[in-house]
Amino acid sequence: MNPTPRMEHGLVVFLVLMFLIPCGLVIVVASEIPFRQVPSDPAERAILPDGYTITFANVTTWNLPGSLGGKTYVITDRNGNTILVETQAFASARERDAAIRVYNTNTIGRGRQVGGLIVHGQYIIAVTPSNPDIIHAHRAAVATALLEM
Amino acid sequence: MSDNATGAQGGISQKKVLGLFALAMINVAAVLSIRNFPSMAVYGWSCIGWYILGAVLFLIPISLAGAELATGWPEGGGVYAWVKQAFGEKGGFTALFCEWSNNLVWFPTVLSFIASTLAFALTPDLAANPWFMFSVMMIAFWGTTAIAYFGEEASTRFSNVGVVLGSLIPAILIILLGLWWLGSGQSLVLPPFSPGAIIPTIDFSTLPFFATIVLLFAGMEMAGFHALETRDPQKDFPRAMALSAGIIVVCTVLATLAIAVVIPANQLNLASGVMQAIQYFFNAAGIAWLIGPMALLITLGGVVNLAAWLIGPAKGLGIVAEEGNMPPMFDRTNKYGAPVAVLVLQALIGSMISLLYVFLPSVNQAYWLLSAMTVELLCIVYILVFAAVIKLRYSQPDQPRPFTIPGGKIGVWAVGGIGLFGTLLAFVVGLMPPSFFTSDGILYVAAVLFGTFLLAVPPLVFLRCRKPAWKKAGVPGREGP
Repeated sequence: MNPTPRMEHGLVVFLVLMFLIPCGLVIVVASEIPFRQVPSDPAERAILPDGYTITFANVTTWNLPGSLGGKTYVITDRNGNTILVETQAFASARERDAAIRVYNTNTIGRGRQVGGLIVHGQYIIAVTPSNPDIIHAHRAAVATALLEM
Repeated sequence: MSDNATGAQGGISQKKVLGLFALAMINVAAVLSIRNFPSMAVYGWSCIGWYILGAVLFLIPISLAGAELATGWPEGGGVYAWVKQAFGEKGGFTALFCEWSNNLVWFPTVLSFIASTLAFALTPDLAANPWFMFSVMMIAFWGTTAIAYFGEEASTRFSNVGVVLGSLIPAILIILLGLWWLGSGQSLVLPPFSPGAIIPTIDFSTLPFFATIVLLFAGMEMAGFHALETRDPQKDFPRAMALSAGIIVVCTVLATLAIAVVIPANQLNLASGVMQAIQYFFNAAGIAWLIGPMALLITLGGVVNLAAWLIGPAKGLGIVAEEGNMPPMFDRTNKYGAPVAVLVLQALIGSMISLLYVFLPSVNQAYWLLSAMTVELLCIVYILVFAAVIKLRYSQPDQPRPFTIPGGKIGVWAVGGIGLFGTLLAFVVGLMPPSFFTSDGILYVAAVLFGTFLLAVPPLVFLRCRKPAWKKAGVPGREGP
């Protein structure tokens, strides 16, 4: 094999690797959330910090395979800003993961979703918008509350 | 749709098959998506403000810049040809490659949307079956690649029919249902309209969303990739830009508002998909029987959206290869003029990433990281395009431009400057880790930047390794500074 085709083939391999390395690394390195039974709706047990009130709550079951039900909360802060929190439990890891996949297809244009997703045991917690102050300011408390369950 | 006129690049005869309507539909196919409507409807009246922000910071600037660049340099390659004129091959190749590579990372998302929407039309349980999902994704991906294989004429026919059936008809149907809802005196879930209600809340919590809004109308440059097949690019490009921008804005704003006035924001259940919102909407309107057919149409709309992004940048990369910037194996075209080597390579890489996407789905944070990379890569493309339109006014002032951004140099600075501001801000904001991200913020930023770098750097390696023999005989190429 002369050097030129070898280099050309090397460049093709390089090109393929340039895609697979970042995509593979991100997917493999990102922490997988194990499917396990947590006792109750995580949002239900989370304690709201001062200044936030639940202005709406109802029980919902999404029309997705394996959905076991959950709740929708609207949380309002002192300034009137609202955060939508939707929780849903799933019967199995496969069905929960399918729901995660569906959620991640709901991007706006070429960008991202309108909100963010937290996965906890059999629960999916969708938060809209994705970066609410309540989670930023009280991330440690929220994380502790979730881990304690 | 077609005539006998031909153009040539690299010895490949290109039929001049594209007119005003076909060009406009390419842009509409790339940009208009039903997926956006329920997500944006959550914002109620303020969705109007978000759309205005997206239009001012991106849609209007990219439409004007694209029209000027496409009429001034109506060559094949779209963003490659434009940026190359301003910043040389390195810049042009980087812009094009970022558009192509961001596609490859994005394809699994749209393919998964297609598969889950089709599952909804058949039986929703199928969405939980990874083998069904992967099979449908592959059929859609390779099927669209096959259509692209048969050249511009076949792609154009598919795009024209598909965009009308899969994007325009569903959007119009949603708008009509919204009007019927208003006309029939049903209660509106939105508070009464006031001018203040359309102002969006821009604070720390909505900043990551800002990057999404700026790129909401990304794809308006897509028609530029088809310059070689356009009958009268200098006349048709500006008109196609205006027509497509009008269709996209009217459909997007009205359809979003139609959903917003019917479905309460707290019942949109975005997490469970677009079809759930459509289901609620159609049930409320008493036409539940239309949900299945609507799912099929929206599936088709997803395929057309995929096709628009799959074909354009691949054609551009074929032209880059013909000019000798990539090894000859990349410039292989078939008798229809389709860049078959690039299409196959693209389908292979996309299939591999899709495999990871479907079978490792519980790594939710990985999705966010990958979508962050696509945002950053797209921002690089548009930063280069806006910078190019400004620079070319100085470096090539005498180049005939049948359409120019009005206002002379002040006008081009205003349009290019606003576009640059919007995309630079989106680039920076796109690096912000979401609050639910449990890892270190610096690690997040480093991961996004590193991934973006790896996906943007191959052109520099190719240009460093290129050989004179790589250039295809008869190709002008290697122009610009």
